[in-house]
Amino acid sequence: MSDAPAVVTELEGRFGADAFTAQETRSDFPTLWTSRERLPAVLKFLKTEVDRPFGTLYDLTAIDERFRKQRDGQPDSDFTVLYHLLSYGRNEDLCLKVGLADGDASLPTATGLWPAANWYEREVWDMFGVRFDGHPALRRILMPLTWEGHPLRKEHPARATEMGPYQLPDDRQDREQEALRFRPEDWGMKRSHEGTDFMFLNVGPQHPGTHGVIRIILQLDGEEIVDCLPEIGFHHRGAEKMGERQSWHSFIPYTDRIDYLGGVMNNLAYVLSVEQLGGIDVPDRAQVIRVMMSEFFRIASHLVWYGTFAQDVGSLSTVFYTFNDRERIFDIVQAVCGGRMHPSWFRIGGVAHDLPKGWQGMVRDFVDYLPDRLLEYDKIVMQNRLFKARTQGIGAYTVEEAIDWGVTGPGLRACGFDWDFRKKRPYSGYDQFEFDVPIAQQGDCYDRAVVRIEEMRQSLRIIDQCLKNMPPGHYKSDHPLTTPPRKERTMHDIETLINHFLSVSWGPVIPPGESFVGIEATKGNNGYRLVSDGGTIPYRVRIRTPSFAHMQMIPLMSRGTMVPDLLAILGSIDFVLADIDR
Amino acid sequence: MQWSLSKPKPAEPEKGGFDEAIRRLLVMARLEDLVRWGRKNSMWPFHFGLSCCFVEMATSLTSKFDVARFGAEVIRGTPREADVIVIAGTPFIKMAPIVKRLYEQMMEPRWVISMGACANSGGMYDIYSVVQGVDKILPVDVYVPGCPPSPWAFLEALTLLQKAVGNERRPLSWMVGPQGVEKVPMAAMRDVKRPDRIRATSLRSPDEV
Repeated sequence: MSDAPAVVTELEGRFGADAFTAQETRSDFPTLWTSRERLPAVLKFLKTEVDRPFGTLYDLTAIDERFRKQRDGQPDSDFTVLYHLLSYGRNEDLCLKVGLADGDASLPTATGLWPAANWYEREVWDMFGVRFDGHPALRRILMPLTWEGHPLRKEHPARATEMGPYQLPDDRQDREQEALRFRPEDWGMKRSHEGTDFMFLNVGPQHPGTHGVIRIILQLDGEEIVDCLPEIGFHHRGAEKMGERQSWHSFIPYTDRIDYLGGVMNNLAYVLSVEQLGGIDVPDRAQVIRVMMSEFFRIASHLVWYGTFAQDVGSLSTVFYTFNDRERIFDIVQAVCGGRMHPSWFRIGGVAHDLPKGWQGMVRDFVDYLPDRLLEYDKIVMQNRLFKARTQGIGAYTVEEAIDWGVTGPGLRACGFDWDFRKKRPYSGYDQFEFDVPIAQQGDCYDRAVVRIEEMRQSLRIIDQCLKNMPPGHYKSDHPLTTPPRKERTMHDIETLINHFLSVSWGPVIPPGESFVGIEATKGNNGYRLVSDGGTIPYRVRIRTPSFAHMQMIPLMSRGTMVPDLLAILGSIDFVLADIDR
Repeated sequence: MQWSLSKPKPAEPEKGGFDEAIRRLLVMARLEDLVRWGRKNSMWPFHFGLSCCFVEMATSLTSKFDVARFGAEVIRGTPREADVIVIAGTPFIKMAPIVKRLYEQMMEPRWVISMGACANSGGMYDIYSVVQGVDKILPVDVYVPGCPPSPWAFLEALTLLQKAVGNERRPLSWMVGPQGVEKVPMAAMRDVKRPDRIRATSLRSPDEV
């Protein structure tokens, strides 16, 4: 990179220029390779010594490089572990890569620097078999403990149908159940302390209050939570492995099902990343349509959260109101996209259709309708004394903790930190819109609610601006990699027809390289890291989801609270299981 | 089963004598029919969801769809009190032993609705961590297609199941009558609806709202 960010110079100044190898990627932050030996010192320097440090371990994952052909200029590696760091002070990212050889794939743990590294390292162990020395409990996290192999290694079968029919005879049932048995000693938990025997309460994986299949084991002293242990992976759908066999185009429907309340918002993060890789510019009209539909889904997701959160703490009627409002959004989504929850409607280079005739009326009606309802819900829920008593001062964390644990989205803004990726790193034309970033101060359950509710109002403002200023033009780019390409010219010359035919049948061939785009999704920052080997399918798809980081914080948030508070905390962080386990 | 309800009226002078009074006060039916009628109209679902489909199932509980119209709004938190388990979502391999255990904890008679493509067959997810259809581990009564099925589709499945439950014969006890369950075979809705569907000649344009 010609205008390398200051951090590269600082690193080279501290460790010497030969300590790093820069890699060209399509993403707008530097990617540096370093050695396994030097890694701990480099991470420590970035976290604790450098000015305006990289406080957040934003993502930690790996790439199985053994079958990758297009690696020009990259150091040798069988398994590359990458650390994606984020500095809020600099508003910059940095990606550090370490190459490891098959058979000797191990690294020192980073859990001493970032507590958030714990689950990420377990995930890399589970998926790739890379060991992290010194990790407090390096066990499988997504797959069952009885699993053999590491799914994201290229030699691991991708399809269930490659692995023989699934059977669950009684002996296997017993074995699997036994593997789920919780032993406090395995996790360094004590069974008693100073004459008090702790009770261990198993919540989940099937429990009405957990919003999905997750298991939380509580260590209780009476009704007080001494410690707890979330166990995830019950919802692991292998979306990343799926990406390695879908074409760039046919992966879009899988993204809908990551944050399954976020609908096309998921498409947005993915197509932006593909467009970065392919160098595709999107016309203004497509961008504004995307923004409008994404904001509709932000409201829809927040409405589901609003109703279920209120229900979690005992306000049973709210959910009936908010779901009805959500149905009104779905009427619009159905008219525009044809689907409800998973429209899969964005395309590489644009969107699937133009807006239908008469969309303005529907959108106008909704924008006029919702504000009064939100005021009413304020009275039902937010001003309710019981609701306040259940949520104020519960599950609070500070900005420093949030940054340390990789919290993004409303959970970060609720502790007084003004950070919205739509404002700080505008994508898809968000810099053209007027909206405020709501923040709150206490960082507790109530304040997270305050932020989300105000966000709905701001989303309405954005939708209103889309309605008033929808630009004319095409809903799809005329870049050759747009999929499916524009149809108009195909009947005029044979080259365009061939391009159209190949692009529809094989899918686009995306140039080799790596890209990363993260967006302000409904629940926090959702990002897609794509590696292309110059083919019609991605070589590696990494999905960085906000709920994974948030769920890891549950023990911190719930220690010292009561059992009912746990449900308020779970409700307030607004997670979706597919967004944790993918 | 034949029955009817009438509005309560002010007491009229006795006209038909004793027989008429009995007719108005009593419902005469076979015990077996009454039990079936009760089962059919009060199917209590288990509060159980796996993934995206559960959101649409939960939507069917809310006012616009209102599953209470079909007597199925009494969501039970424990499998022991539930009549029907809706496998709403993807049957994950890590979850399969748990799903089977929950099903085993339900009391007979019990029914299973497989909601959505994943539960029906694995759907989009032919992937290492997903069981290719929940019928690999449980007997399924009704399959609902869709990814996810709309609440309307779920309600249709529920009414189809109710119809089947209303028609099936079960022994009243292990001491009475022939043992074993006699189910009425259910036709695939694809076949039932086909004549109507192929009659459609104009479809709504996606260019209009």
